Amino acid sequence: MPKVTRWFIKAGIIYFVFGVILALISEFPAIYAGPLLLPVYWHMLVIGWLTQIIMGVSIWMFPRKHRDKKKREFTLTWLTFWTLNAGLILRFLSEPFLPLVQDSILINITILFSSLLQISAVITYIIEIWPRLQPRIKQNRSSS
Amino acid sequence: MPAQTIWMIRFSLIYLLISVLIGSLLITHKAINIHPMIWSLLPIHFEFAIWGWLVQFVMGTAYWMFPKKLEGERRGPILPAWIMVCLFNFGLISLVIVSLVLDFSVAIVGRSLIAVSIVIFGGLIWQRVVTYRNN
Repeated sequence: MPKVTRWFIKAGIIYFVFGVILALISEFPAIYAGPLLLPVYWHMLVIGWLTQIIMGVSIWMFPRKHRDKKKREFTLTWLTFWTLNAGLILRFLSEPFLPLVQDSILINITILFSSLLQISAVITYIIEIWPRLQPRIKQNRSSS
Repeated sequence: MPAQTIWMIRFSLIYLLISVLIGSLLITHKAINIHPMIWSLLPIHFEFAIWGWLVQFVMGTAYWMFPKKLEGERRGPILPAWIMVCLFNFGLISLVIVSLVLDFSVAIVGRSLIAVSIVIFGGLIWQRVVTYRNN
């Protein structure tokens, strides 16, 4: 399993745990943070956990087209990992405060920056995975 | 990798990108009011993320990776597999178009097509949930 896949899966597990904990916390009526936390834990589970696991495992398992271009793969996959996680962390740190702090330039810029990072992550992931979606080249094997 | 998987994963990547772009627009609108109509894109963000991206990617990968049959077509009959791909994506796109033009309550056609596609997927995969090891 490549190193970047291990990082994707470990980060995914962390978001999974935090997502479930936040979902649990939001159920306590005394805290009254349900509406603020709802988008946070949903995105922790769907992007942080499920999407990140899919990205990590597909980078590992999908057949490589550019076996001789390891540097390209290295750059794109690590760029995907860091932009996705930086975007998610910035989002989770700023989104719950949006309704509380109206017109905060710092929060607004953080939100915009986190969106751009997440979009970049998806684009770099697609650039890496798309060429790997190829039919298997049939080899002449007398036994098969 | 079979052609059906290639197309399902290509579609799922496109849906992921669209969903993330809509999500970015929604969160930007939360920070800076752009236009109140932007909230009407929220159901499309969900549908593309869950059905278009996650479900379709998993279906496509399962169709590729599950154990293959020893005789006949290795992944089962080809035509139902293509019908599965077409119905799923036609259903999802019609669901989204209907929701944009009309209302999400009129989405029964799109949902029905997705449901039929998933029944076909279940039938194709069921026969391949096997082991060839002698335990």
